[in-house]
Amino acid sequence: MRVLGIETTCDETAVAVVASRIGGDGGDILSNEVMSQIAQHAAYGGVVPEIAARAHIDVLERLIVRALDAAGTDIAGVDAIAASAGPGLIGGILVGLTAAKALALAADKPFIAVNHLEAHALTGRLTERLDFPYLALLVSGGHTQLVAVLGVGDYKRLGSTVDDAAGEAFDKVAKMLGLPYPGGPHIERLAEEGDPARFDFPRPMFGREGADFSLSGLKTAVRQEIARIGTPTERDVADLAASFQAAIVDVLVDRVRSGLRIFTQSGGQPNGLVIGGGVGANGAIRRALTRLCAETGLRFVSPPPGLCSDNGAVVAWAGLERFARGMTDDLTFAARPRWPLDANAGSLHHGKA
Amino acid sequence: MRILAIDTALPAVSACVLDLGAADPIAIETAPMERGHAEELLPLVERVVAAAGGGFASIGRVAVTVGPGSFTGIRIGLAAGQAIALAVKAPIVGVSTLAALAAPYVLVPFDGVVAAAIDARHGQVYVTAYGPDGRTLLSPRRVGAHEALRALGSGPLRLIGSGAPLLAEEARLAGLEAEVASRAPAPDIAYVARLGLVADPATAPARPLYLKAPDAKPSEQRPLQDAPAEA
Ligand SMILES: Nc1ncnc2c1ncn2[C@@H]1O[C@H](COP(=O)(O)OP(=O)(O)OP(=O)(O)O)[C@@H](O)[C@H]1O
Repeated sequence: MRVLGIETTCDETAVAVVASRIGGDGGDILSNEVMSQIAQHAAYGGVVPEIAARAHIDVLERLIVRALDAAGTDIAGVDAIAASAGPGLIGGILVGLTAAKALALAADKPFIAVNHLEAHALTGRLTERLDFPYLALLVSGGHTQLVAVLGVGDYKRLGSTVDDAAGEAFDKVAKMLGLPYPGGPHIERLAEEGDPARFDFPRPMFGREGADFSLSGLKTAVRQEIARIGTPTERDVADLAASFQAAIVDVLVDRVRSGLRIFTQSGGQPNGLVIGGGVGANGAIRRALTRLCAETGLRFVSPPPGLCSDNGAVVAWAGLERFARGMTDDLTFAARPRWPLDANAGSLHHGKA
Repeated sequence: MRILAIDTALPAVSACVLDLGAADPIAIETAPMERGHAEELLPLVERVVAAAGGGFASIGRVAVTVGPGSFTGIRIGLAAGQAIALAVKAPIVGVSTLAALAAPYVLVPFDGVVAAAIDARHGQVYVTAYGPDGRTLLSPRRVGAHEALRALGSGPLRLIGSGAPLLAEEARLAGLEAEVASRAPAPDIAYVARLGLVADPATAPARPLYLKAPDAKPSEQRPLQDAPAEA
């Protein structure tokens, strides 16, 4: 089976075709076209919704054609069309969602609405054979949460950030340090040359019960340190980056550890830990989670960085997972700019799962 | 040739199927609405194509309104139109909402200026105008009602669209002869189809006609010493 997946929830326009393997053994990415709008937003220090929506409509059609060509097929050759219907920026979502529904209607194919977070959470099963249940750490510019992935469409949020998302923290700190947007990769690069032990930044929520995150205090501490220094030298900037990243790594590892505890206490035994979201590209975070998993005997599934950041392949894959279980949607499906993965997320918000 | 026309740029969702040479669409549906275009559009298109018979395979061309209008509405129509055209391997053409609003009046003998205007709020209008011979006098633009009237000349004026009353009021203040021929908030989709049939895909691309830059302010990239103070 082959599914075409469309992703337009934020600042990447992406289309991919993914085929399932027989026997539930993951999928084959036949094409994965991604067009980033970063350059168009860079001057604004963040994503401007109307600019994003305009950029999506300008390139989406071309990307669909390219993804089909690269996969060596046409629309008749795919079995279903999937799109991210949220969460994200409504203007962009509507572009991808409408195009997907229209393709499905005109080509007489089933349509599947995918939750963007679900797509990241299911990525571990695209790249490897991984059985439910497992734990997913979703860390991007807009989201930071730990999710118990119990089955397709069956997710339990164990914890999430009460303030900034991890990528947001990277981006804000990068901005304070005068680095371009998005700042994550720049911080990571600078951190390699810096001293992670020079500044003792706080590790909010460390050791706390539950699996919630808090990152705004860390960001504030970095700002105060910069103010104290006055005019940071290159050395200072590298040390600030390294010390900040070290603090984030510690927080993430601690929260994952706590999430694992909650997972097992509620009677489950996770088959692995999957990381998803743009921050999942961070090498220091990956290494720390690899260590944690080695310690706890848990399998660490880290999709390649290109599948962690926003892309169409993970949307197509989530579409395949749903399609294989008969979960399709109709043409009236409305965009969901806010769409918690977990239907009961409200009551679980403070990690009391 | 058979054309499928789609419009979601203004307060309505419309689609019709028109065959070349036929006077009227073989199937047509219009649902006036302020919100909810995205959810309404594809079920409506599905009904219209089903009513026309022959299915999507019979569609030889797609026409879609490209604006001016609601930015989101423009993109919904374009995304749908482009995807349908791609799926049925048919060319797609873009039609301006102003041209479609004016179309029923442009070829009616009238010794004056025909202007289509859409209320763009805050005293602004999207406007275009045609002379007695049907030639474009004023290309589509977004201007204040007062400025629009000045650009339309000395009348008499025949005004069409949601911005027509605004221009009529300006005309009255200026002592010009003006009549509001229609206040239709959205074009008759049959005219979108007719214009789409005669349009050349090479010169009428299905690309947004926003007539307004996006609202976006550059963030103040402050120097290191003066890091942002927001929480
Ligand atoms: N190497 C890295 N280290 C740390 N952060 C990174 C790295 N690479 C990317 N990031 C961060 O990841 C974020 C981008 O994530 P991503 O592409 O997943 O989507 P997003 O735009 O945040 O959308 P969404 O939250 O909807 O998934 C940015 O905040 C960026 O700074």
